[in-house]
Amino acid sequence: MTPKLTRRRFIKSVIFFGAAASSGAGFYLASAAAQRPAGGVERLVSLNVNGRTRRVDVMPQETLAHTLRYKLGLTGTKLGCNRGECGACTVTVDDVTNYACSTLTHSVKGRQVVTVEGLRAADGTLHAVQQAFIDELSPQCGFCTPGQIMSAVALLKTNPRPTREEARQALSGNLCRCGAYDHYLNGVMRASGQLS
Amino acid sequence: MPAYDNMPAMELYQPVQVEDALSLASRLADRGWLLGGGQDTYGWIKDRAKRPEALIDLNGIESMRGIRETSDGIEIGALATLTEISTNPLIRERYELLAKAASVVASPQIRNVGTIAGNVSQDVRCWYYRRGLDCYRAGGNLCYADTPEAQNREHALFNASRCVAVTPSDTGPALVALEAQMVISREGGQRVVAAEDFFVGPAINITRTTVMGPDEILTAVRIPAKWANADFFYEKVADRNVWDFALVSIAAAMRTEGGNIQESRLVCGAVECTPRRLRSVEQAIQGQPRNQATADMVAGMASEGAQPLTHNHFKMPLMDNLVQRALTA
Amino acid sequence: MTYKHIGKNFTPPDIEAKVTGAARYAEDFKREGMVFARLLTSPLPAGRIVNIDYSEALAMEGVVGILTTEDLPQPAPPTNPSLASDIITYIGQPILAVAAVTEEIAENAIEKIRIDFERRPFVVDPLDTLVEGGANPYPTGNTLVRNAGDAAAGTTASGTDVGEVKWSRDAINAFRAGQVPEGANFPEEWAFGELDAEFAQCTTIVEEPFVTIGQPHHALEPRTGMAYWENGRCYFHGSLQSHTIAVAPLAGMLGIDPANLVFINENTGGGFGGKIFPYPTMAVTGHLARKLNRPVQLRITREEEFYIGSARSGMQGRMKLGLKANGDVGAVDVIIVGDAGSGGGASNSSAAEHISLMLQPAAMRFRGVTLYTNTTPRGAQRGPGQNEMAAVLAPIFDKAIRQAGLDRMAVRRQNAPVSEDLIGPRRGALTSAFFPQAIQMGADMFSWDERQARSGQRNGNKVTGIGLGMGYHSAGASGYDGLCRIGTDGRLYLHTGVGNLGTYSYASVVRTAAEVLKVDWNNCEIVRGNTDLHLPYSTYQAGSNTMFTEVRTNFVAAQDALRKLKDIAAADLGGAADDYDIDGTRVFLTSNPEQGMTYAEAAQRAVAMGGEYSGETFPDDLNDVTKRSVQGLAGTGLIGVAKDTRHSGTVPSMTIGFMEIELDMGTGKYEIVDYTAVADCGTIIHPLGFRQSMNGGGVWGVGLSGYERHVYDPQNGLSANVGLYQAKIPTYLDIPVVTNSAGLDIPDPQSPMGSRGVGEPSQGCAAAALASAISDALGGHLFNRAPITPDMIINHVAQLDHFNTGDLKTNTF
Repeated sequence: MTPKLTRRRFIKSVIFFGAAASSGAGFYLASAAAQRPAGGVERLVSLNVNGRTRRVDVMPQETLAHTLRYKLGLTGTKLGCNRGECGACTVTVDDVTNYACSTLTHSVKGRQVVTVEGLRAADGTLHAVQQAFIDELSPQCGFCTPGQIMSAVALLKTNPRPTREEARQALSGNLCRCGAYDHYLNGVMRASGQLS
Repeated sequence: MPAYDNMPAMELYQPVQVEDALSLASRLADRGWLLGGGQDTYGWIKDRAKRPEALIDLNGIESMRGIRETSDGIEIGALATLTEISTNPLIRERYELLAKAASVVASPQIRNVGTIAGNVSQDVRCWYYRRGLDCYRAGGNLCYADTPEAQNREHALFNASRCVAVTPSDTGPALVALEAQMVISREGGQRVVAAEDFFVGPAINITRTTVMGPDEILTAVRIPAKWANADFFYEKVADRNVWDFALVSIAAAMRTEGGNIQESRLVCGAVECTPRRLRSVEQAIQGQPRNQATADMVAGMASEGAQPLTHNHFKMPLMDNLVQRALTA
Repeated sequence: MTYKHIGKNFTPPDIEAKVTGAARYAEDFKREGMVFARLLTSPLPAGRIVNIDYSEALAMEGVVGILTTEDLPQPAPPTNPSLASDIITYIGQPILAVAAVTEEIAENAIEKIRIDFERRPFVVDPLDTLVEGGANPYPTGNTLVRNAGDAAAGTTASGTDVGEVKWSRDAINAFRAGQVPEGANFPEEWAFGELDAEFAQCTTIVEEPFVTIGQPHHALEPRTGMAYWENGRCYFHGSLQSHTIAVAPLAGMLGIDPANLVFINENTGGGFGGKIFPYPTMAVTGHLARKLNRPVQLRITREEEFYIGSARSGMQGRMKLGLKANGDVGAVDVIIVGDAGSGGGASNSSAAEHISLMLQPAAMRFRGVTLYTNTTPRGAQRGPGQNEMAAVLAPIFDKAIRQAGLDRMAVRRQNAPVSEDLIGPRRGALTSAFFPQAIQMGADMFSWDERQARSGQRNGNKVTGIGLGMGYHSAGASGYDGLCRIGTDGRLYLHTGVGNLGTYSYASVVRTAAEVLKVDWNNCEIVRGNTDLHLPYSTYQAGSNTMFTEVRTNFVAAQDALRKLKDIAAADLGGAADDYDIDGTRVFLTSNPEQGMTYAEAAQRAVAMGGEYSGETFPDDLNDVTKRSVQGLAGTGLIGVAKDTRHSGTVPSMTIGFMEIELDMGTGKYEIVDYTAVADCGTIIHPLGFRQSMNGGGVWGVGLSGYERHVYDPQNGLSANVGLYQAKIPTYLDIPVVTNSAGLDIPDPQSPMGSRGVGEPSQGCAAAALASAISDALGGHLFNRAPITPDMIINHVAQLDHFNTGDLKTNTF
């Protein structure tokens, strides 16, 4: 959980200014300058997402979910509520699960963000959790699935052979409106080699 | 009701020294908003029910992190997350009560970023207030929840004053039970306040739930050695076992000697605007064994003096049941 | 019967994209020049707009346009308008839409819009408008009446109007107190059998009021849409649980010929009845895109999804139920007042129908009233009426059985329907039913006798409750079109327009065609999700209908293809068509398998022969949607296409659920230790998919009986639970620890593969089992409601039942 910050006695990223247009896909423009308080800059930040560092123009108040979906085109991260009440936007930041809708993008500078799009191996092989979720027919509508997967991946990283109860606890911050919980848990057990 | 969903434009400060944060807090006062885990921040702002001009992100301040042993107990940095607290070996070994309380907050993702400071200073959950209505707490002159037809199942039993909202904090009752000390910093100074005095009800301040002023920052929480390894009991009763705030919770710390309760602190959450100490119960059980007979002796005592609203009467037996359980578990 | 595909698990083609994040939902589509729209919604539960001033908003930099009621056709009430102005009937009702280059600017613009409203009185409880002198939710009344009127131009509903129904104050007071409302007017009524005579023969009679509370669907994907126009055609990325059946109504909303609508919807993040047909905001997206001549995304937020995303209706009712000494159900007399919210529908009659089928009373009467309220629109839902009825019926039925000194499982089994039994007021026949066997199978799996012996057992604060309950839904229709194509590459292309809300049934049913044509699954390809891909007119994916209805369409399409394969072979190789057989890759002479041709060759021959073989001609009775698709495919291979015939009778899908709970008497909380459910839903086509439906329905049942509910403040019409947190959707930690499910697996004779759907009843039986188990744990106490929440249990245990609302309030505590 400790961000790698410099010890400079310096207020980092003080006051952002909104005149610049955004980078990214080109259709999401920044707000008009007139709507922002005047001040300094540093909107351009380096983000490490799925192992790749990218320079992104990020508004001060921007949430990580917004950046991922609208600036980086990573639409696998879903917005189910935008209030931290469903888990569909779950990503990992330094291997810890976060709700991307309730995380400021500026707070993940210098940290490793992983989304559901970043799990496949370089050769295209699916992550064990992804494959197990297919085998167990875990997703129904699929809208919560990326979040469920990220929670499962984070769990297995720290606890490679969880009990079903540990898996239940670890995934409990991910709502599934279709009620596919049992199938997701089967998927976690299969991914951890405990179900064949 | 327009349903706003986007973060409006605002400034963001990311100080790495507490002095800079204090200076910003002082300068911005009510126009600024302290940001820890942010889990009681973004909803307010996206709903446009609160409109700070700047966020002061405290997460870069190393000195406010970590959990360390001190000469008299432990000191928890204000930015320690609820996950860190619930899994910290020192806390689990000596202050299981707090570890338990932190472990039942909201959901894993929220505990991963939610801080102890945020958990004790989060705003009330009254749904009328959260909808942005002009109630007393929002600066208006009425309470929507305290009427015969209001939907007030989650509201207060005790010490309501214009506002009938309850404290939503799960760790608050545990900290009061453990006689925690809250370290509050301001520019050029610091004060240390007992957890019990940290929370304030609407009669004292209807717009804030703690003693902190807008220019102050909670920088640490100290847990004295006094209650280390005492007998503890914690239980939170909520509708759902994830996300939901307590309908009623109880945190109890007890010292027994020769089979009798020598000293105890029993604190309920979600029954008034602050964690509620059950002083009459504490006094009655002093010197008594921790058993069913003692529980029977104090039956109904916890909820004495409650002033229930239309739909929250159930909290009275629930409080009493939780006291029974604390004494017999 | 041994099948190649049916009854076997497979990997649905869309699942990999769901686990990699590649699956795209409406909100994930972008287009050059796209602008973002946001809705301004009503802060009032009832009233009208006197004046709107949006000049300041429109002048803001980045704002590109505004859509108001003036841009859209206005349907007559009770049809919900896309944008409301003169008749506002609920908080959150869309009033206008603002488009801007960013969502943030659109929201800033909404803050600048000034609206003068005129308020009207409002109601959130149906009985408050039913009572004489009570306010009406619409200016002209409180209930739907049928007339012969036409739909307004550009709208789809017709033949409805808003009228008024009232009861005397005495009748309302009696009803609220759980008594029969003497002299009350019931616009809805049906009956069969000799009610009084049958009650006279009953030795046990219970009379109980009940209330079920509405709940939002809250599909996890909010109903975002994106539309753009090119060359007079509208391209619409939407979120519906149906596909081709939605084309004509959506085209109607947009005022275009259905041929000019391209509807694209590969994935849908849940629907639960709320996304069966196009909904009003889709018109906003499409019209705004046309007005601005730019692609428009209208994103719907979670709060808006609560307002406009449809919800389960509530019921306030009273039931009299009589048991004969031998355990047969003699008679049932039920009254239901249904809450249709704003311009929606209630489910009173289907709730009563549940009783008529599952209990098989000798006589029954249903009387009902449907009322509007100034709450969110109610609509189709998972097991409409039947599932809420299941939840409140179970403990009431238990009470009667206990009073009669009989076994709760045995009495259910004894009354359970079989194929010869009848349903509902018209005493309709069933396609088939074997429900007593399902109950017995469930009882065996659950070890009913052993568990039942544990009922009421105390362990510290905890007490064991054993419950059971039944779910039912009519799960099948017929008469839609089937379409498949053997390509010149020899592959089988399975075209479906059924929609995809996530159950994979769209894929399960097309395997019927692969089965008939004996094609290996890896030589099949499902074609769906975009009307430009030439899809047939298929049923909606709702109401557990797909498994029966679309097995039939795929069967007839495949039969057509099979006939053509043989015709072609006979034409080329001699002999009669009947002399030929197939093996999945070749059509060959049965007497000499060497003599034949591959599917690829046959498809090439079909193209050469033209006519019906390659879709140059097609049956006249096909739906226009299918006709256009066949025209589009003409000449590309061997086309199998046919309209399904009609089946006869109700297609009953039925489930039995058994639950063991440990109820904590101190906290009102419980753990569901075991949940076992068995379905009588015909042949299981896709075992894992079946299990998904059963388990997911189980979670929904727990939500219905234990957690989810509307909470409205009657003083201001505000809803407390607009978000997911407040809607109390069950989480991982609230659901059964162990879930077992099984199917009876006895084929239905009217489904070519024997299948019936199961999505709806899988919820009803769980809801019923939970309500029954809670009641059982508390010695048979009746809460007479769904959901039952911890506060109510705590009050009961503390002998403070008078604090539990006893006057049939729905929408409020």
